[in-house]
Amino acid sequence: MLALITRRLMTAIPTLLVIILASFFLMRLAPGGPFDGERPLDPETQAALQQAYGLDRPLWEQAWLYVLRLVQGDFGPSLVYRDFTVSELIAQGLPISLTLGGLAIVLALLVGVTAGLFAAVRAGKAADQTIMMGATVATALPTFVTGPALALFFGLWLGLLPVSGTGEGVAWLIMPVVALALPVSGAIAKLTRAGLASVLKQDHIRTARARGLSETKILFKHGLRPALVPVASYLGPAAAGLLTGAVVVETVFGLPGLGRYFVQGALNRDYPLVLGVVTLYAALIILFNLFADLIYGWLDPRMREG
Amino acid sequence: MSLYEIRNMAIEIAGDRLIEEVGLTVEAGQCTAIIGASGSGKSLTCLTPFGLTPGAVSGSMLLDGVDLGSDGSVQIRDVRRRLAGFIFQQPLTALTPHLAVGVQLQEATMQAGAARPSRLELARKLERVGLSRADERLDQFPHRLSGGERQRVMIAAAIAHSPKLLVADEPTSALDASLRSEIMALLDELRAEQGLGLLLVSHDIASIEGHADQLVVMEKGRVVESGAASTVIAGPAEDYTRRLIAAAPRLQDPAPMLSRPGEPLLETRNLGVSFDRSGWRRGKIKALADASIMLHECESLAIVGGSGSGKSTLGRAIAGIGPVTEGEILWEGVTLPERRKRDLAMRRLIQPVFQDPVASLDPHWQVRDIVSEPLHNLRPDLTPAECARMVRKVLSDVDLAEDFLTRVPASLSGGQAQRVAIARAIIASPRLLVLDEATSALDPLVGAEILKLLLRLQGENGLSLLFITHDIAAARRLCHRVAVMEAGQIVETGEMQAVINHPRHPATQKLIAAS
Repeated sequence: MLALITRRLMTAIPTLLVIILASFFLMRLAPGGPFDGERPLDPETQAALQQAYGLDRPLWEQAWLYVLRLVQGDFGPSLVYRDFTVSELIAQGLPISLTLGGLAIVLALLVGVTAGLFAAVRAGKAADQTIMMGATVATALPTFVTGPALALFFGLWLGLLPVSGTGEGVAWLIMPVVALALPVSGAIAKLTRAGLASVLKQDHIRTARARGLSETKILFKHGLRPALVPVASYLGPAAAGLLTGAVVVETVFGLPGLGRYFVQGALNRDYPLVLGVVTLYAALIILFNLFADLIYGWLDPRMREG
Repeated sequence: MSLYEIRNMAIEIAGDRLIEEVGLTVEAGQCTAIIGASGSGKSLTCLTPFGLTPGAVSGSMLLDGVDLGSDGSVQIRDVRRRLAGFIFQQPLTALTPHLAVGVQLQEATMQAGAARPSRLELARKLERVGLSRADERLDQFPHRLSGGERQRVMIAAAIAHSPKLLVADEPTSALDASLRSEIMALLDELRAEQGLGLLLVSHDIASIEGHADQLVVMEKGRVVESGAASTVIAGPAEDYTRRLIAAAPRLQDPAPMLSRPGEPLLETRNLGVSFDRSGWRRGKIKALADASIMLHECESLAIVGGSGSGKSTLGRAIAGIGPVTEGEILWEGVTLPERRKRDLAMRRLIQPVFQDPVASLDPHWQVRDIVSEPLHNLRPDLTPAECARMVRKVLSDVDLAEDFLTRVPASLSGGQAQRVAIARAIIASPRLLVLDEATSALDPLVGAEILKLLLRLQGENGLSLLFITHDIAAARRLCHRVAVMEAGQIVETGEMQAVINHPRHPATQKLIAAS
C-alpha cells in the first residue's frame, strides 16, 4: 500500500506540471488582458503595469518563473484584486468550498447508500421503484434549479433558513450543501442498488445464508463492501466535481468560496489567480483519485494485486 | 431412527413441479450419495429443504427429530445455524472475497452460539482439514489460496459449529483428480471422527465409489434406484444407472478403437512461456519450460496434469491465443510465426474449444451467427448462401437439429453448448483442434457423448486433437499418446496404454492412482 502511495505521488508531479503549463499557455491564447478596462489605459501606464508584473517578458520565461515561484509555495499576486496575493484569496475561499464540498459528499454518501440499500432489499417492489424514480429525478435536476427552488421555499416562504451569505451558526450551510449533494446522492443510490443486486446473487452470499445468519448481517457483513466498488470509482471524480461544481451554488447563495474567484479570475484575465485555482483543483483531483484507489483495496482485497 | 429422513418430498419452483416422490435417509456417521446427470434435480433435493433455493417444498423431512416441514413451526434458518453444515461446488466463489479466512471461520464457529474461539483454536481447525501454515492462513484473503485449499477452508467452516449433518453439493467437481481423492478421504475421516452424517451430491460415480454407504440415483426429478452403494454399483437394476456407471471413464475399461495416425503434423521445440510478476516485485514466473511435443495427422495427444501444471498454457501457445517467450512451433516442418503474423490459411489450421461451453459463447448471439463467425474472417471468398449451407452441414455433423440455428446460448444445455462450440471450431475445416478441458464441466453421460463425437469427427475428417485434461481416464478413451505435465514441465510422454501400465514419473503414478 505504501508502494502504491509513493508511486502515485511520484507520477502526480509531472501530471501537475503538464496541467499547469497547458493552462498557462491556453489562457494566454485567449484575447484580452488583465488591464483592459472599459476605459482604455494610456499606452505608457499599460506598459509600466506590464513591466511591473513581468508580462512583457517572453512567454516561456514567464512560465518558467511561475513554476519556479510555485515550487517555493508562492502563487504570485492577483492582477485584479491588487491588494491581495493569490495565496491570500485562496486562503479566504478554500475553507468555505471545502466545508461545502466535504459536507455534501458525506450527506450524499449517507443518503445515497442508505436509499440504495433499501431499494436493493425490496428489489422490484413499490419502495424500490419509488426510490429509483426519486434518484433519477435528483440526478437530473441541475443545481441552478434546485438551489433557487430551495431558497424560495425554505428561505422566502417558510423563512426557516438564510437565503444568502455565511451568517452565524450553521444554518446558512444547510441549503447549499443539500443542493450540492442532491444529484450526487441520486447517482450513488443507483450505483449502490445495482452493485448490491449483482453481489447478492453471488455464491458467497449463499454460503453466508447457509450459516443461518440473519439477512441484515448477510447484507452488511458479506454483501455491502463489494457492492460499493462502483460507488468508490464514482466518488473520486464526484468529489472533485463537488468542489468545482460549487461555482453555481456559491453564486446562488452568495457565498465567497473558491468557485467565484475562479470564474471572476477567468473573466478578468487574472492569470495568476486562475492558475492558482487550477493547480489546487488538479492537486485535489489527483488526491481524491488516490483515496478512491485505497478504498478499492479495502472494499475488495483482490484489487490490491498488481 | 435415522439422522435425516426424507419421505415423499416434492419441490415446486414458480408452479413447476421439478421434484416428485423423493425419499432418502442419512445415518449418523455414514454417507448417502445422490447421483444423476445434470438437471436431474439432485442439488434441489439436498438444498431446498433447508431454504437455500427459491423452491417450495412439501412432504416429510426429519432431521435429528426436528421436522423441517412447511407448517411454519420451525425456523429453517435456525436449523441451518445449529444442525447442518454446507459445502458447495465452486470453492473459488463460495467464500466472501473481502473477509480474511480467520474471520469467516470464526463466524462459522460461532454460528450456533458457541463462545468466541481463540486464534489457536481456529488454527487447529485449519490444521484438521489438512492445511499447512494454518496460523498464517487465518489472515489471508480467499483469493490467495488455491482451489483445493479453499475447499478445505470451506469444509473447516462447514463443520466448525459441530453440525449433525453435512450437505456437500458436488464438493469435488471443480477439483483435479488427485485433489478429489484427498478431499473425499478427508470427508471420510471427519465422518468417522465426529459421527457426522454426510449427504453428498455428485454427477460422478467414480469419485464416490468406496466412500458412499447409500446410493440414490436420480433422473428427471425422481428417484429411479436406491440402496446400499456397493450393491447398486455392482448390480444396477435400472438401465439409467447402468448407463451412468458405464459413462464414467475408468482405466480398466477395454481399450478403445482409435484411428491410425499419419504423417507428422505439428511439433513444438523447447517451448517456454514466462510472465512478469505482478506489482512491483521483480522477476518472472515460468509457466512453461522446455516443452517439446510431436503430433501426427489424425492422431490425438493428451496433455494431462493437475491444476497449475502449465497444460493450458501449452495449449494456448499452440493455438496462438497465448504468449510464447521461447522455442518454436513447427507445422509440417515449417516454423509457424507468432499469431499476428499468421495469414488466414495458417489461422484456419488450429482451432480451440474451451472448458466452459456456455461462458465461451457470446450470450447475445444466435447459434447461427456464432457458428458462422469464423467463416467471415477466415473464408472471405464464400457467398452468404454458401456460408448458410456450411452452417447447416456442420450443425448436423455435431448432431444438432436445424431448429438450433436461432437459439441463444442461455437456452442450451452444457452438452448442446459444447456441440455448438465444436461446430464453430470445425466449420472452417481446421486440421487440429486444441480442446482445453472440453469435457470437464459436463456430466459423465454428456461428456461421454462429446468424446464419441470427437472420435467420429476425427475418423471422418482426419482431424488431429490436442486433448488437455486433468482426467487421464477420460483421455484414454480418445488419445493415442499422452504427455504428463507437472510444474510447467513435461515429465513423461509415451503411448497411452504403456504409460498407464508402467508409469515411471511420480507425478504420473499419482495421477493414475487417483483415477
